[in-house]
Amino acid sequence: MSIPGPAPVLSLRSVSKAFGVVQALRDVSFDCHAGEIHALVGENGSGKSTLLGIASGFVPPDEGTVEIGDELRRRLAPAEARKLGLGIAYQTYSHIQDLSVAENLYLAVPRSLQPAYGQMEEWAAEKLAEFKLDVPPAAPVGSLSLAQRQFLEVVKSLLAEPKVLLLDEPTTAFGPEDVERLHALVLQQSRAGVGIVYVSHRLPEVLGIAHRLTVLRDGVSQGTFEAAGMSEERLIALMIGRPLQLAFPERHAAEGDREVLLSVSGLQGDRFGPIDLDVAKGEILGIAGAEGNGQVEFLRALAGAERATGSAACDGRELDTGSPLGPLRAGVVLLSGDRTREALFPVLSVRVNTTIQVLRRMGRFGFLNRRRERGTVDELVRRLSIRLASVEQPVQSLSGGNQQKVSLTRPFLRGNVNVILAEEPTQGVDVAARFDIYDALRAKAKEGVAIVVKSSDPLELAGLCDRVVVISRGTIVDEIPGEELGERRIVEAIVGSRAAAARRPA
Amino acid sequence: MTFGARVAAAIAGIRFRGIVPLVLMATLILAVGAFTAFRQDAFLTSYNLRNLLLLTMPLALVSLGQTCALLVGGFDVSVAALMTLCVVVASYTMTPTTSTLELIPGALLLVGIGLAVGLFNALLIRVFRLPSIIATLGTLSILQGIAIWLRSYPTGSISSDTISALDTSWSFVPLAFIGVVVLALLGDLWLYRSRSGMALRAVGLDETSSRRIGIRTTHVVVLAFVACSVLASIAGFYLAAEVQIGSPIIGNQALESIAAGVLGGASLAGGRGSFFGALLAALFLTLIDNSLALFHQPTEYTEMTIGVLILVALIVYQGPELLARLRTGAFVGRLRARQGEAQQGEAPAG
Repeated sequence: MSIPGPAPVLSLRSVSKAFGVVQALRDVSFDCHAGEIHALVGENGSGKSTLLGIASGFVPPDEGTVEIGDELRRRLAPAEARKLGLGIAYQTYSHIQDLSVAENLYLAVPRSLQPAYGQMEEWAAEKLAEFKLDVPPAAPVGSLSLAQRQFLEVVKSLLAEPKVLLLDEPTTAFGPEDVERLHALVLQQSRAGVGIVYVSHRLPEVLGIAHRLTVLRDGVSQGTFEAAGMSEERLIALMIGRPLQLAFPERHAAEGDREVLLSVSGLQGDRFGPIDLDVAKGEILGIAGAEGNGQVEFLRALAGAERATGSAACDGRELDTGSPLGPLRAGVVLLSGDRTREALFPVLSVRVNTTIQVLRRMGRFGFLNRRRERGTVDELVRRLSIRLASVEQPVQSLSGGNQQKVSLTRPFLRGNVNVILAEEPTQGVDVAARFDIYDALRAKAKEGVAIVVKSSDPLELAGLCDRVVVISRGTIVDEIPGEELGERRIVEAIVGSRAAAARRPA
Repeated sequence: MTFGARVAAAIAGIRFRGIVPLVLMATLILAVGAFTAFRQDAFLTSYNLRNLLLLTMPLALVSLGQTCALLVGGFDVSVAALMTLCVVVASYTMTPTTSTLELIPGALLLVGIGLAVGLFNALLIRVFRLPSIIATLGTLSILQGIAIWLRSYPTGSISSDTISALDTSWSFVPLAFIGVVVLALLGDLWLYRSRSGMALRAVGLDETSSRRIGIRTTHVVVLAFVACSVLASIAGFYLAAEVQIGSPIIGNQALESIAAGVLGGASLAGGRGSFFGALLAALFLTLIDNSLALFHQPTEYTEMTIGVLILVALIVYQGPELLARLRTGAFVGRLRARQGEAQQGEAPAG
């Protein structure tokens, strides 16, 4: 076991990379020492992914060099990077969903560390126990929860015993408890001498765990700083190039008795229910809970994307949740958390993705009026500050946060929106954009729309919502009214309900 | 559903999908075989059975190859033209007058053609990034053209020594058929019980993830397409033994081999399949051909029967997912209907 010292285990010297006309990275140098946790922060599209791509050999740099351990390379193949001791946990994972956990672990380690084929399951069980990940080795990865998959991704990257570990947004699917577990693991690895590059949007998390921070903005390094003594405000100012007033949009004064807009009674599905719930006009209701307790399924059932029994009414009229069409007609819009698979058409342009549900309004006699369409799209791009080169760009070429904003344009365009069901509306979205999204949601609420937000970030729920309900094992176990709302109160409610559930005999 | 139950269901689903095609194919072969044997005395003769197994050989071999392509998520429609080209070339290099010593390079040439075509297909697919179906469609046309250029009409006999060597049998079972059974079993063993077999399936299931965890995906895809073409060229030998003359007429083994692969359990999306399943399916398809001929049924019935069976088999393979879908659908429908009755007179629901 090596002692954390000044020896860099990963060092990038003056790397630059352009994709077409977009300069993704410009003359960036970055290093990570053994035993150091070095955070890499920046807004979406600031070049973090490109930097990780270059370090891991998937993206050849236009200029500059990569050094892993003591080996200097101008060009580096992914396989070579692995051999030199680089491990990486991807934001979008590297699992083969139809193969079992054991098979995924087995394929992910170099041949020299593989056990005999026949011993695969025992070996995998051992490794899972070592990392305290409680999943059956024979289970297909596709049957795991998102949080379990994310943890498995990190475990996989550690199996090859890397000298330097890149973690790309390793906590997006995690609730507070899971984050703590992951951080314990990261700290343990760092003490063992592994250099860790930690990329995350959650700044409090980053400040809590990192030793040093490097800030990227528009592909240019803004410098490397000691984490001690760095404040969130200063970090944000470095990231966006100006100080930002970190204020959640103001709640409007609660009127005496607000009209109920969405009313759910006895809704029950495969993994949740029965749930009774009323949401008022203009209210933002938060849904909290540990991941995988049926929150997502509940939202999706309301939107007709998942089968359920029981009933729901919008504006006094029964909702037909048999297919997504009924809720859509009633003005109930789901913003899916799985934006690339469910919300967007990744290969189509930003323009098409924005207007696809309202094309009828964009033309006359069945022909599109391109000018009107362009005008509408440009306006929304500005309002949500979507960062792009052209509205004709395919959505998949945008960064994650900007993709999310494109999916948010739809409720703004539709005429008769009554209810917005937002699943993790700011997952993978950078700070500045995050507050754009909060403002946009609040503005919609002011117009009288009822909004339900499912989020795994308690801070977000506390700041944004008028009221929060906590779901555990598919049912509402706690309700936190506006005046009691706070991050702590929410976390305690989640943990409390978990503890209560654990006490209950299974 | 609890986590444990979900995992159990997922595992059961995978096992089901793996085993059902084999069971179904074996059952159908026995059922059709028994029925035919009962009604037609000519069926259960060692002459007919040997003939049936020999007729299965070309389709069986090319189906094993096609399964390789299907496993990595591709198709190879050029196999039929390749087999025909092999027959035509054999009518030059393996003629009745060719000496035994010269037969060896003649045979190697056929395998060499297979190797070259496989590499060419792989080049189009991996380097030029063409979809495999388009790439191999182009290859099909080229190979077909060459075959017709070499023999514009069926002529040129093929060495009968070679044919009888290929058709050597033990009782009514051709040795080559035993060989292909062993090959298919070894193939499945490799596919489901070895690291490299798992890597092949991984590439078919999810190429991005495979590349990320360090599998050399290009390598794997190239090998799969080369294996496909080489097996097709070996299938060409048995096609040559069957037609015995340099005929440039292309059969429809391309579509049949894809059908056999899929009936044997392969998924068109890649990553799933069974060599033994493909072999059983090839035997089954040939059996249908053979027994309907014994019943003096015209070939159009054969074609239609095969089409219907393929569709039925594929619906059955969806088994658990399909049942689950129908069941929840019916359940929710009934519940809705009941609620609708209770709420009659109120606001119209959906």
